[in-house]
Amino acid sequence: MYKKNIFQKKLVSTTADNGLLERPQFSFRLHISLVFIFFSLFSMAIIVGSVIAINRIQKKLHFVQASERYLFEIEQARRSEKNYFLYGTNLENAVQNASNAKSILSQNLQKIVTVLSAEQTETIVVHLDRYRSLLQELMVLEKNGIDSSAKKSKIENSLRKYGAEMVKVAAALVDKEQDSMNAMLHLIQRIPIYSLVVVLLIGLFVARFLVQRLIKPLKYLVECTHRIATGDFSPIKPIRKYRDEFTTVEVAINRMLEQLKSHEAAMVESHKLRAVGTLTAGVAHELNNPLNNIMLTAHTMLEDYKDLSEDELLEMVNDLINEADRSRSIVRNLLDFARESESISEPLDLGALVNDTIKLALNQVKVSGAKIETQIQPDLPRTRGDGQQLKQVFLNLILNALVTFKSSGIVTKPLKSQC
Amino acid sequence: MKEKLEILLLDDEAIVGNRLGPAIKKAGCNVEVFEDPQKALNRINEKEFDVVVTDIMMADVNGIQVLEEVRKKSDKTKVIIITGYATVALAREAMDKGAFDIIAKPFRPKDFLAVIAKAADSLGYKREIVAAA
Repeated sequence: MYKKNIFQKKLVSTTADNGLLERPQFSFRLHISLVFIFFSLFSMAIIVGSVIAINRIQKKLHFVQASERYLFEIEQARRSEKNYFLYGTNLENAVQNASNAKSILSQNLQKIVTVLSAEQTETIVVHLDRYRSLLQELMVLEKNGIDSSAKKSKIENSLRKYGAEMVKVAAALVDKEQDSMNAMLHLIQRIPIYSLVVVLLIGLFVARFLVQRLIKPLKYLVECTHRIATGDFSPIKPIRKYRDEFTTVEVAINRMLEQLKSHEAAMVESHKLRAVGTLTAGVAHELNNPLNNIMLTAHTMLEDYKDLSEDELLEMVNDLINEADRSRSIVRNLLDFARESESISEPLDLGALVNDTIKLALNQVKVSGAKIETQIQPDLPRTRGDGQQLKQVFLNLILNALVTFKSSGIVTKPLKSQC
Repeated sequence: MKEKLEILLLDDEAIVGNRLGPAIKKAGCNVEVFEDPQKALNRINEKEFDVVVTDIMMADVNGIQVLEEVRKKSDKTKVIIITGYATVALAREAMDKGAFDIIAKPFRPKDFLAVIAKAADSLGYKREIVAAA
């Protein structure tokens, strides 16, 4: 991380990369880490939720079992009670069952309160207590041998009423709890399916997003390399909102482009210097003509000045001046071409440009014994371009044509420029 | 034997003829000055000159061709080559083809007349030219 920071600081220092590096950073590493953390948390939540739900179901199961036991005891008590009224037996069993029911009830009372309302719970307890006290009354009657059918039938009615009530409530309790448990089971069965769907959807979204994040810059890079391949060395511009791993690649490519640009400039310069070298020999020779004219004229003047008429002297002086001008323009032509110049795009008269170039190469042409014929359309439209570089292109064409001309002798028209 | 040395001077630089023509006449020779090689060749075919002086690098016809034409016509005529592009290869070619001498530009009128004198000497006109030079 520390290393990376240094690297980034170093990158910021180059001006061309500023646009790329000014954006906030959102790397793929961070992106993937965030996705991973999200999924981990999500899975943990599902696991914790499932554990809690299973615990609850377990507790519910215990409670349902207790409720069932309670119902069973009550029903058993009622059966014994019925037997007692029919055959006069099983009264102790009924009492026993009722007291079992009571103990189950008191054990689970707290839980029942949460399932049923406090009022209903109260009713259950009261009913059971009544039921038990009625049974006790019956027991007392039985023990004492009192056979009061009126009282018995009154107790029987009350017993039936409370008993029926109790069974109804207990059955309701069991049903309710079973329903609640079933609902919970149902839910817990659904949880994996729901989470699967959620995970799939989010996964799809994240994958799509990631792929787009990956593909977009890749496509852009491919476009940029195509552009660079055609010779456009302008730096890559930022298109995304965030900095990421691709930014490093783009910064590196921009660096490469700077190098390419400077190499290209150096190459153009070296090509030019080579052409200048070739031309210099020719120019040196070409200078011999005006120099010779100057020398002949000056010596003639020196030797014969007494015999020369004014007109003759004037003619000679003019010759001297013209030949000096000629020498100057020969040298200037080459110097103009050799001079290092900024690349400027301007409207150019291509015809004049070609003629200038031919002038530059004329000596080489003469030495080769070649001839240049030009056919330049007179109403040529102006063309935008770098005059110096175009001159060099034409010059190279001419010089190369001369080499071919020299070596093969086949080229009868070394250059015919049709523009 | 003719009285005066007959010279043909061919150079597409007009000033060369303008300056050397009078100088040659002053030295006591007859001279015909040409700027157009074709006209000069025609004249060479008409008349046998003692000395033909020709520039080597001209637009249509080069000096070597003039030399060859002269050689075809006469063995006696001395051919002097003037060149602004003095290279060893060119000098060798000219000498091989029978040139009398080569003068490299730039030269002084004196240098030129000295070569003419040398040619005259080899043709037996020594007296007049030496006096002029």
